[in-house]
Amino acid sequence: MIKWLRDVGWRYAVVLVVCAFALFPVVFVVSAAINPLGTLGSTGLVPEGASLSNFHDLLTGDHPFAKWFLNSVIIALISAFAGLLISVAAAYAFSRMRFRGRRVGLLSILLIQMFPQFLAIVAIFIVFTEVTELYPTFGFNEPWGLLVLYLGGALGVNTYLMKGYLDTVPKEIDESATMDGASHVQTFFRIILPLVGPVLAVTAMLSFIGTINEFLIANVFLRDTEAKTLAVGMYGMLTDKRDANFGMFAAATLLTAIPTVSLFLWLQRYIVSGLTAGAVKG
Amino acid sequence: MTTEVTGAGSARSPHPGPSGQAPDQRSRGGRRGGAEQVRRTRELSTGFIVSRIAVLGVVAALLIYALPPLIQTEAWTALGVVGVVTALVAYLYLTPRHIPAKYLVPGTIFLFAFAIVPIVLTFVTAFTNFGDGHRGTKEEAVRAIETSSVTQVPGSPEYYLTIAERDGELVFLLVDPDTKAVQAGTADGLSPLTGAEVSLTGKVLSAAGYTVIPTAQAAERDAEIAAFSVPTPGGAVKATGLSRAFEGKADKSYDAACDCVTSPSGGRWVADEVEGYFVDAEGKHLDQGWKVDVGFANFTKALTDPTISGHFLNVLIWNFVFALSAVATTFALGMIVALALHSPRVRGTKFYRIILILPYAMPGFAMLLIWRDMFNTDFGLISKLFGVHDWLGTPTTARLGLIVINLWMGFPYMFLVITGALQAVPRELTDAARIDGASAWAGFRRVTLPLVLVALTPLLISSFGFNFNNFNNIKLVTNGGPYAIDNSTVGATDLLISYTYRVAGFDSGVADFGFAAAISVFIFAIVATVSTVAFWRSRAQEEVYS
Amino acid sequence: MRIRTAGVIAAAGLLMLGVAACGGSGEPAATPSKDKGNGKLVLWTDPTRAPVLKPFAEAFGKENGVTVEVKEISENQQQTFITASQQGSGPDIMVGAHDWIGNMVQNGAIDPVQLTAEQKAAFHPNAIKAVTFNGQIYGAPYAMENVALIRNTDLVPTAPATIEDLIKTGKDLKAAKKVQEILCVPFGAAGDVYHTYPLFSAAGGSLFGTTASGDPDPSKVTVNTPESIAALEKMKALGEKGEGAIKTSIGNENGIPSFVQKKCAFLISGPWSMNDVKKAGFGYDISAVPGFAAGGQAKPFLGVQAFYVASKGKSKVLAQEFVANYVTNKDVAMALYKADPRPAALTAAADAVKSLDPNAEKFVQAGANGIPMPAIPAMGAIWGPMANAEVAVVKGGDAKTAAEAATKAITAEINK
Repeated sequence: MIKWLRDVGWRYAVVLVVCAFALFPVVFVVSAAINPLGTLGSTGLVPEGASLSNFHDLLTGDHPFAKWFLNSVIIALISAFAGLLISVAAAYAFSRMRFRGRRVGLLSILLIQMFPQFLAIVAIFIVFTEVTELYPTFGFNEPWGLLVLYLGGALGVNTYLMKGYLDTVPKEIDESATMDGASHVQTFFRIILPLVGPVLAVTAMLSFIGTINEFLIANVFLRDTEAKTLAVGMYGMLTDKRDANFGMFAAATLLTAIPTVSLFLWLQRYIVSGLTAGAVKG
Repeated sequence: MTTEVTGAGSARSPHPGPSGQAPDQRSRGGRRGGAEQVRRTRELSTGFIVSRIAVLGVVAALLIYALPPLIQTEAWTALGVVGVVTALVAYLYLTPRHIPAKYLVPGTIFLFAFAIVPIVLTFVTAFTNFGDGHRGTKEEAVRAIETSSVTQVPGSPEYYLTIAERDGELVFLLVDPDTKAVQAGTADGLSPLTGAEVSLTGKVLSAAGYTVIPTAQAAERDAEIAAFSVPTPGGAVKATGLSRAFEGKADKSYDAACDCVTSPSGGRWVADEVEGYFVDAEGKHLDQGWKVDVGFANFTKALTDPTISGHFLNVLIWNFVFALSAVATTFALGMIVALALHSPRVRGTKFYRIILILPYAMPGFAMLLIWRDMFNTDFGLISKLFGVHDWLGTPTTARLGLIVINLWMGFPYMFLVITGALQAVPRELTDAARIDGASAWAGFRRVTLPLVLVALTPLLISSFGFNFNNFNNIKLVTNGGPYAIDNSTVGATDLLISYTYRVAGFDSGVADFGFAAAISVFIFAIVATVSTVAFWRSRAQEEVYS
Repeated sequence: MRIRTAGVIAAAGLLMLGVAACGGSGEPAATPSKDKGNGKLVLWTDPTRAPVLKPFAEAFGKENGVTVEVKEISENQQQTFITASQQGSGPDIMVGAHDWIGNMVQNGAIDPVQLTAEQKAAFHPNAIKAVTFNGQIYGAPYAMENVALIRNTDLVPTAPATIEDLIKTGKDLKAAKKVQEILCVPFGAAGDVYHTYPLFSAAGGSLFGTTASGDPDPSKVTVNTPESIAALEKMKALGEKGEGAIKTSIGNENGIPSFVQKKCAFLISGPWSMNDVKKAGFGYDISAVPGFAAGGQAKPFLGVQAFYVASKGKSKVLAQEFVANYVTNKDVAMALYKADPRPAALTAAADAVKSLDPNAEKFVQAGANGIPMPAIPAMGAIWGPMANAEVAVVKGGDAKTAAEAATKAITAEINK
């Protein structure tokens, strides 16, 4: 029993405490969401009443919530996938190849993300005003424009995450593939990518979350009610009607977590599979 | 898959030495002899041809899409650059050389366009007074000043307007609402018009010699109508929309001779190219200004203005405390739970993992507002659990509160990446340490932690950089407060970024972008220095382990 | 840590396409299409008004044979509009609060609107006053709003005549355990100058002096005049260390809910609270925020929503037609009111719908003494420091020190 406590018991204790910490603000949101008065009950974890009226209002009200939901999921999925491809390619080069400017390149990627962005909005307008004139498909109000813009952040810290993981894959593996006559492209797609499943899953997850909650840029970009993403639409609901919509807002907050959680559920087996893969590797 | 070299060494030292090569595997393969070579060459050739055709196809498609609008608008510079970039990309993917570039270019293009361009823009802006009141050119300011000074000539009628045409020239048909007298207004002036058919609402339905333009067609000629004016002795008749017109005159006008704006009523505002304003004798300026270069003024102001430099040190210290504790706490908690779940003997890990990423899955701005409510003095949950206290109203608790909130929002990220990184730590190593008699703690410290750190140091540095400028947390939770009673400029929880935001006027809606840009350069210098030092040190460490 | 988001925020440019941008902007003559009217009218507004305005905008489009697009900007509408306008991708018409006017004018983003004498006379005088800046009318007002005192008539049948009455009634109810709070006035940890302004002004406080023409004068900040300091003293007396009527723990997020949940019998709020109050299930009434017994009237801020013609729009004449001649029409104003019941700025429309909604009329009455929120750009400099000063006194700090600190910060910002 003591051994169990030492080996396993503490794990449960830690996990339960941290889960409680992670959950209690969420419970608070649940409380506000099912509170029929539609107010953020600053009262506590127990709502004054329980009903699904906020969810009902949300889905049937003026706001095309379902459309926003769909827009968000599509944009986040495509951008996560494209971003993943771009950054894993870069990570492969950084991990496997030696070339001039490699270290400077690595450092630049890290530093560029740290620049304070006071002028981001101005920059977006300067660039995309012209883009909208020339190539409406990639202009304002178009998900494609937003997507290419998001890809600017693809070569960021995620590249590092994957490079770090790629570094742990023994170099001998791709060397032997080369001996077998595989080109670098084949090695990359057929050998390396399947081996780094866990980190691809983690990165896809991070990237998806980053995009689905992105607000600042999407707010400037998406102007048609029908074109908006959840984050933008919800923020509009919150700020404009002041507190009157808080119950619906809480409900929407909960629903927003659904795509992320579903994606995580689906990706989790890849993340977990890494545990065994790692053992095999050793 | 077989590996020629195996053993503990391969797992521990994944990192190829600095002299590692980037061989061109295809050409090398092509040089190998025997029957094997024949097979390989054919296989490679097929792939070669297909991939090259694909590259050319993509390039051609891009050009077909990108070029016509550029040619149409005669944007030759852009056309040139697009051409050069496309040619470079085509060359890069057609040649067997420059393999690293093939993998790096897609990301670099986007990085350049959407990250570097704004940075350059910020840099350039730091040397100007760009901001509210100084956004456009001097010509735009003059136009705005003149337009906004136009008032109706006293006693002039408020005409009904019908837009018409005569010999292809625009004509305003004007109906006086009182007398119903009709006049035709052209670029030469007003002339009476008789025999026009006028509706009850004052619209001219028909007039001999004139073609009445239907509204929809008039709307197509919007710019032409907006620019059209009928000169009158007192000023000019301009359209107010498509159905009314008024006789107005501009009170202010620009005089190039004196480079000033004058008003018939005696006002005189001289252009001040240093401030970007028209200034009168008393030093008062007109509202509309323009963008001018100010050299290093924004930088020197940031360094010498006492409202900024006077608080700089205190803000900087808290800024470091916040960023470092944010990284340390999230990393520690993420590590603890990741380790706790990193065992086949724990049941229900899938379930726990989902709960643990929930804070990260919920929209950040919403949760920040909810946390703020939970810290409410009288009604908040924190007061219910830990006693009534002005949590966000006292400096120490407000700072602690922010760190706790940040911990909640940030630890799932660390948990996720550490979970990923832990899988790369061979279990044999930790087991070996245990067999050696090392305690679990020592094993963790000597084996697991260093290996995880090597992989994650760049992420920690990046996290530091992010939290150093964690604007959202401060803005939405405390807005920099609490403020000392005798200091309304800087609050106890202000980070440099939130402080700058306020000082540069973004809070008040009258933003000074130039000044904000100058301070962001300073902030960047601080973060970049710290990060670069940390980066080189971690790289040195990495060499040791590899 | 939303690192990805940071990266995304960093992102703002585009190579292949961005290059085109450089070329395009370098050769303005190359894009003549921009200056040509395109028979299309684009209107920007916020998410609440967008669905309301859409049918009217479309009706206008049909009437004139043009297309009208209503776009909604979720957040930061004013800055987004100004930046977009400057770069040439803004709308033709903007809808928003009148206190943006000063900043929009100094950026050359909006044009004056020429209303006829008859049109002007049809509006509530306060609405016209609000949209007038430097002697010019810059927009067509359509709705007005101001805060009032809303009370639970089940607990308090008659409106209090003075603030002292209000406090006494509130305290009695609290002592009788019928409520938990004396008054719900949104204030919050960060302070709220807007909601507490009736109290501050009733106590004799003011923010700016006035110019000869009656406009607020940014060169005369009056936050630390003896009158304003005395007013802050009164707020201190109402604050946490005094009566406990103004509290940092009651803010926008829980002010209305607390009233609805009967935690307080009085609420200072505007027409936007009505949806919740109506659902609460008890009797309520709306009256003006009273003054102090020692004299001095409460003057709530008046906010006006208006339509503006964008200076750099592509269809300016059409935009003027819409703003000056369409939304100023009584029938359109009435229809707008029916879709979005806020007190109409057009007197004729307001009178016509009086019988439909007594609440709207009561808010207008409560705002009779109100002063239009100053639209000068310097107003932005007031909010933050003034809120800090109010928080300090509500928590029991010295009024003079707080007023001086606020004045220092305000003047530094104005003279920036």
